[in-house]
Amino acid sequence: MSSEPIERRVSYIGDRLRGSRCEICGKEYFRPRDYCGTCGRKSFGKMHDIDFFYEKGTLEVCTLVKEPTNKFTKLGSYIYGLVSFNDGKVRVPGRLTDNLLQAKEIDVTQLEGRGVVPRFRRRYAVEQSDVIPTVALSFTFVDEYYPFQEHQIVKPKKEYEKPGIVGYGVYTSRFRIKESAIERSVPFVDEDSITAAVEAGKMALIHSGIDPTMVAKVYVGSESNPYAVKPIASKVAQVLKLGEEDKEKGLQTVDAVDTEFACKAATCMFKDAAALAYYPSARGHFTMVIGTDNSQAAPRNEIGGELDFFVGYGASAFIFGINDVIAEMEDWCSCTSDTPDFWRRDQESYPRHGGRFTGEPAYFKHVTKAAEKLMDKMRLQPKDITYFVSHQPNVAFPVKVASQLGFKEEQFMPGLQVAKFGNTYSGSSPIGLAAILDIAKPNDRIVIVSYGSGAGSDAYSLLVTNEILDKRARQKFTVRYQAENKNIEYVDYETYRRLKLGM
Amino acid sequence: MTRSCPAIIGVGRTKFGEHYEREPEKLIEEAWLKASVSAGLERKDLDAGYLADYFLPITNKIGIEEGFLSELTELHIPMEKTRSFSSALLNACTAIQAGRYDVVLVGGVEKMTDRWDKIRDDLMLLEDPWSYYAGCTPEANHELMLREYVKRHNLSASDLETFNLALAQIAVKNHKNAVQNEYAQYQREISVESVLKERQKAQKPLGLYDFAPISDGATAIILASLEKAKKLADTPVCVASSASATDYVTYPAREERTGFVASSLAMKNALKMARIESTEIQIAELYDQSTFLEMVSLEDLGFAKRGTAWKDITTTLSESQRFYRVNDKELYVNTNGGLKADGNPLGATGGAQIYEIVQQLKDKAGSRQVKTDIELKYGSALELEGFGTKAYVHVLRRGD
Repeated sequence: MSSEPIERRVSYIGDRLRGSRCEICGKEYFRPRDYCGTCGRKSFGKMHDIDFFYEKGTLEVCTLVKEPTNKFTKLGSYIYGLVSFNDGKVRVPGRLTDNLLQAKEIDVTQLEGRGVVPRFRRRYAVEQSDVIPTVALSFTFVDEYYPFQEHQIVKPKKEYEKPGIVGYGVYTSRFRIKESAIERSVPFVDEDSITAAVEAGKMALIHSGIDPTMVAKVYVGSESNPYAVKPIASKVAQVLKLGEEDKEKGLQTVDAVDTEFACKAATCMFKDAAALAYYPSARGHFTMVIGTDNSQAAPRNEIGGELDFFVGYGASAFIFGINDVIAEMEDWCSCTSDTPDFWRRDQESYPRHGGRFTGEPAYFKHVTKAAEKLMDKMRLQPKDITYFVSHQPNVAFPVKVASQLGFKEEQFMPGLQVAKFGNTYSGSSPIGLAAILDIAKPNDRIVIVSYGSGAGSDAYSLLVTNEILDKRARQKFTVRYQAENKNIEYVDYETYRRLKLGM
Repeated sequence: MTRSCPAIIGVGRTKFGEHYEREPEKLIEEAWLKASVSAGLERKDLDAGYLADYFLPITNKIGIEEGFLSELTELHIPMEKTRSFSSALLNACTAIQAGRYDVVLVGGVEKMTDRWDKIRDDLMLLEDPWSYYAGCTPEANHELMLREYVKRHNLSASDLETFNLALAQIAVKNHKNAVQNEYAQYQREISVESVLKERQKAQKPLGLYDFAPISDGATAIILASLEKAKKLADTPVCVASSASATDYVTYPAREERTGFVASSLAMKNALKMARIESTEIQIAELYDQSTFLEMVSLEDLGFAKRGTAWKDITTTLSESQRFYRVNDKELYVNTNGGLKADGNPLGATGGAQIYEIVQQLKDKAGSRQVKTDIELKYGSALELEGFGTKAYVHVLRRGD
């Protein structure tokens, strides 16, 4: 068993690469310290917290590790080296991640001097029952899949009448499996639903420009949390420093909770998040909803294996508030029934899939009901809606339901992302929504309808504001960027299963 | 040093390698018995004991190692435990010079192969936990330092070819020396081609034959005040100086990454204490955890100028010499085979270095005895803890 105090301390510092800067001489340190080694006693109380989480570093020197220590063997071969920040003020040890080095000739000298960004990942393998170790001493090159983006806090300008989306972010991995017409994102071996949640949240913070200390609550919806008990949300809150930080006690004054309802675990909280941001005493605060999944599926030859053709990996994060809203939440409607179409019992590795209920009466009944009821309530016709997006377990279902509801291709195709990333479960319809927001214009109306097995749907109507244009330039890592990136690496079926299984 | 130097009056060691049928106590027993025989000493003559080991609490779940030594010797004298042998020796020297003890046993033991399955993880965690968390291995740090060195000194492609060859020759030389060392882990020669081939196979600047192995083994010496030594031994070898220095545990955080600051500082102080110049040292035991470290240690200790040691090595070793020609003088390095071929049971390693220098200075090294025009007088040993986090330099002198 690992030591939870050591684990707590290492991940507290390592997940965000926390450090200190001496106010007197400017010297910087990786790992916080109370006084400067150069300035000594006079620097007491003059050390400022810094971290390198959003920084760009340089890989100074590196070497190939082909025989890692025991806990790293599942990573295979990797590049290890020294990464410097702020023109060499600070150097940290680092492992390059997102690299399948098998059978590749590597000239390490060609890698030296290139820019890298820290990535939040699993640190190494441990026993199945242990606390999952994480760290951000994993890096990827800035000129590859994942770009370097500055994190700037922008003071809110305008308060809106209705709460809505203030910013959003999507994260899918660099790896894909391509089978017939469908491409699906595949996590690297050190990724899971926790790391994706943090990445998506980070992207949403970058896009929204909000002050992270103003986040009042974070909800993380997932059906693939590697823990049966222990929230992903607590990790997200700590790594992203959501809510005010009590440095002394090492805690964040924020509420954090995980939610579960198959693929609608995240969307069901949109209205709660918006409502909370609208609560009188919380005015000016924000809420964050993340949907994250390393979508699970049994191997193809086993029961439940039919899901293995569709599952993807990724996360989306939406920040709600009443300031600088990019899409107002006009109204919503949810419906629920106790339909056993898809489930996973405790301690089972993979979900089961009944088959009889899957499409009808599960998916179609709920999606149609929620959508029609919302449109009814708001007296909307399909022509009043610019974009329609629904849950995407495959290509056929969302196309069929949209057509049945009277939507045309130009309304539902922009949000159809399943053929690029696979079914990202809790992130599925939200990633579709993000793809639409990436291109939407002011005054566009978007209707999103999620579906979660078990079963239920949430429908929302969102009205895009002028704000969307101002914020767009802040986010390079768009859905399209991730779908069409030239650094995407395709893997075969065996590798896909191995990577998905993780460390 | 104002007081007279302590002297080594007996040395003993086991063979290094894999001793899977023997407990660690058995190894230290053998080394201690040999040392006491060579010193002509009884147990009751001992005033204190210093025992070095890094990993016995981890590999063998032995908590209070001194207790085992007490049981072996049936002595209840003061005993202390350190990590490296050099650290134990430094402490023993300090105590004797302070006038506290007259005769002290200094021992070192390690049983790394008992946990061959996880010793690399333990080694790496010992070197630096944060580097470990980032995926570092004990070998990777050497390769990073090598890259830093190549870049700092701007080695051209043709320089690099010579440089790589020089490092290979170090391994070949050390294996050749070990053939004459009955206690060595690898008593066999290797060729430059085989060193290069292993590197090629690994696609790395350093390969299997560039690194010291993991080993089991024990070493022991008997240290005495000079007065006592004169009564007990005919040719005492004096510890002319005993110095150490410390550096950050995190290699990436160090300013100097093309060598070890701790080594340079320890050497500087050791020379000052011994009141000699580095050129007076004719034999040296360096801490060649890798061939690169043997090379860079020549620079750290001032035997070679920064950025040039590899040139000194190629010119002399290509003539199949056993010495390096540095500063126009012959310097014999790792005549026992070094960590590379003699073996590297961490806590005992420094003892093997001292053992070798004592035997050489006393002209008792047998077939591997160094023969020079000027009679051997000074020898030095550099031992490191971690990846240059601690450095110990001992200068030994024949006669008082």
